[in-house]
Amino acid sequence: MVEHTVRIAARRETVWRYWTDAERISAWWGAAAELDPRPGGAFHVELGGGPVMEGEFLELVPNERIVFSFGWAATEGAPGVPPGSTRVEITLTADGEDTILALRHSGLPAPHVEDHRSGWRHFLPILATAAARAT
Amino acid sequence: MVHRPVDSALRAVADPTRRAILRLVRDEELPAGEIAGHFPTMSRPAVSQHLRVLAGAGLVDVRPDGNRRLYRLRSDGLRDAAAILDEMWSDGLARLKAAAEREEWPARTRRGMEH
Repeated sequence: MVEHTVRIAARRETVWRYWTDAERISAWWGAAAELDPRPGGAFHVELGGGPVMEGEFLELVPNERIVFSFGWAATEGAPGVPPGSTRVEITLTADGEDTILALRHSGLPAPHVEDHRSGWRHFLPILATAAARAT
Repeated sequence: MVHRPVDSALRAVADPTRRAILRLVRDEELPAGEIAGHFPTMSRPAVSQHLRVLAGAGLVDVRPDGNRRLYRLRSDGLRDAAAILDEMWSDGLARLKAAAEREEWPARTRRGMEH
């Protein structure tokens, strides 16, 4: 599990567009993007000369919450996280004129667990499920 | 974004046979022969190839013992992978923050001057 919280001196409406507008998402993540922001819609981000993130929008609550699946397309040299195998949840909370953005990426090994093996126990079944779904 | 060791770790773990091998060597060190014994339908060279991929990706440690080779899980392998993904988001979100703030900055400055 990867978690991040960041305070942004911008309104939620503005931050929202940086996740749902292809041109704006390219400004911070990847060289090009194809976004269809509705449940089941495409969430594709091309990293310049690198792997392609192939996800799908799962949930959208305008200006509040976005959930999408996250994985890398099976291209040469891409990391072996297949599309559909992990999930990213973004929540936007207003604080005055600022926005608190919280990101939670699950279906990944826990980064700072005391017992390293518990990260494996969490990660391996998820990969196995994803692989089973793909076949 | 090129992170070779992590790419190979994630690719290595995407294969069901290799995940099964990792489970076997998670709690105990095992010789290659015994690992191969768990996969009766697979040829010995095929199992050896999987072990090489796992070792190459830094997911298992290998140690010679006489004429045998012993394998065990290297628990740092995937922890590194998580750390890299963590870094991907922290860099990305910093860029998102900068871009969104830049977009609103003129409006905020205007409001600030009115006060």
